[in-house]
Amino acid sequence: MITWLRRNLFRTWWDSIMTVVFGYVGLWVIWTVIEFVFVTGRWEIIQVNLKLLLVGRFPDELMWLVGASLTALAFWVAAVAGGSKIDLNNVQTIPQRLFDYTRRFGLIVALAALLIFLAADIAALLLAFQVLGAVVVGRLVGLARRKVSVLGAIPSIIWHPMLGSPAIALVLVTLMESTLEEWGGFLINFYMAIISIVLCFPLGVLLALGRRSSFPIIRLVTTTYIELIRGAPLFVLLLLAGVALEFFIPPSIAPDAIFRGVTVFTLFTAAYLAEIVRGGLQSIPKGQTEAGKALGLSTTKITYLITMPQALRNVIPAQIGQFISLFKDTTLAGAALNILDVLNVGTAITKQQDFLGQGLIYEALAFVALLFWVGSYVMSRESQRLEKRLGVGVR
Amino acid sequence: MSSEVFKDATRMSGGRASDEAIVAMEGVYKRFKEFEALKNINFQVGKQEVVVVIGPSGSGKSTLIRCINRLEEHDDGRIIVDGTELTTDVRNIQEIRKETGMVFQSFNLFPHLTVLANIALAPRQVRGMPKSEAEALARELLERVKIPEQADKFPAQLSGGQQQRVAIARSLAMKPKVMLFDEPTSALDPEMINEVLDAIKQLAQEGMTMVVVTHEMGFAKEVADRVVFMADGEIVEVGTPSEIFDNPKEERTQKFLAQIL
Repeated sequence: MITWLRRNLFRTWWDSIMTVVFGYVGLWVIWTVIEFVFVTGRWEIIQVNLKLLLVGRFPDELMWLVGASLTALAFWVAAVAGGSKIDLNNVQTIPQRLFDYTRRFGLIVALAALLIFLAADIAALLLAFQVLGAVVVGRLVGLARRKVSVLGAIPSIIWHPMLGSPAIALVLVTLMESTLEEWGGFLINFYMAIISIVLCFPLGVLLALGRRSSFPIIRLVTTTYIELIRGAPLFVLLLLAGVALEFFIPPSIAPDAIFRGVTVFTLFTAAYLAEIVRGGLQSIPKGQTEAGKALGLSTTKITYLITMPQALRNVIPAQIGQFISLFKDTTLAGAALNILDVLNVGTAITKQQDFLGQGLIYEALAFVALLFWVGSYVMSRESQRLEKRLGVGVR
Repeated sequence: MSSEVFKDATRMSGGRASDEAIVAMEGVYKRFKEFEALKNINFQVGKQEVVVVIGPSGSGKSTLIRCINRLEEHDDGRIIVDGTELTTDVRNIQEIRKETGMVFQSFNLFPHLTVLANIALAPRQVRGMPKSEAEALARELLERVKIPEQADKFPAQLSGGQQQRVAIARSLAMKPKVMLFDEPTSALDPEMINEVLDAIKQLAQEGMTMVVVTHEMGFAKEVADRVVFMADGEIVEVGTPSEIFDNPKEERTQKFLAQIL
């Protein structure tokens, strides 16, 4: 221990100074944070407004739908992940697995525990168990597909949508039962991000292919689109979507702000994604295409069986980076389009009569940041796992 | 001679095996900008014939066989493969590619697929073979190239020699009428060259029609029915292995052989 300290922290007098200075700064930062969280922070503002922060003014009698769609979504994700054929490591011992699970899901569990504690509501606890149950069942269903040959024979293109259909149906029912003005809080950010990610992915891939097309017109159109979108700040585009649409569409049938937000996020992220995917395609050696041609495969099949899978796999880190940034950028939509998203709620609650002028903006912003940080962390972790599973860099 | 070849090739279906040409090239030119890579190539490959193409680097050997399955587009002349002329018609090109297998210098296996999936891919996707049948075929072919135990590995887990044998199996899975080999052993470590050459020899003995571009002169002597010597984009001399190696007529052939032997 002492030799380790000597060698790594106090080898020269210069090292020693650095250790002391940075050690002091580090401790001071940690102390300040702990003091804020446990002593000076006044968290009742979060506790009182928890529902507003998470779901806005969503009607109470429809809350079960939100819970049900979250449960169905968790089931879907767990089933897809549990059914993937490549196992990372079969020889893991139980402690190693526990450590792995803690690293992957510890933060989510901790956040859920915090939210249940703040809500102090038995319904929240029940929901947590419901979601946990869905994850377990989903994983078993995924495993069953690997073990039971009848299920394994169902092609992925039918299997995955089939498992996802309850989630999609529940989200649609929720949308129909409530009006979009009733949506709010983190729910908005979450759904805007998910829907935009799902929509922008195919669009981005198509744009990437368009930019490499042998037809000059398609190349011109896609290149112009990509460069125009990438040349404009996201915030400006969101503001434009808020006002400029009125030039073309009469206000009576103008789409809702959330719809506009999703549209802008989809179109914006697709342009960036297109360039990422194009970079991935360029990294695939020419020999791959030639081998496909020599076997008699058509250009389309070469793209979707040979070059595109490799390209997408090579650019997973950049893709996930783009999705994480989209997730966080949903707060811009709140500001630009007057959507009552989690950030807007967070700043609004500090102006409530009970809390006005008490400088509680720190607590509100810290809570909002925590929600996004946990979400981003999980995305980033899981993408690293996906990379390992697909053997990026091993081939 | 060339017009004879041409007629033989076009009346494929009715002809006797001996005078059928699987590949026929007549007056073929290929230019890369100013550079003439192929000049007036007249060339034929008969059924079950093994033709080995030799020559200094940059002489157009690779370009020659890459023109046969349209990885390069020729600028002039005609190329007929198995009775179908190569035109800009995409369907013709697809037809010809189904009938010609190609093995590359750098293997070009698909790194994201297992060995088995690499081999089964084309039969399934091009011939529409059911998965189980395609995989059975793939296993049989792996047996033939003597690496059945590697079926479920990924290409990166194999040695160069094994990868090249998988590439051979992958081409054979389409049951081609002619196999093209583009320097199949040039990227291999010396100790792995023989295992690949043995696999090719075995194919030749089984009666596969082949065009092989190679620098392995021992292999050429042993396996070739005919040897083609190319230099500067032209076919300089054609003959049996003993004619070319023991008794070359052209000065350029003599020079080349003197340098490498």
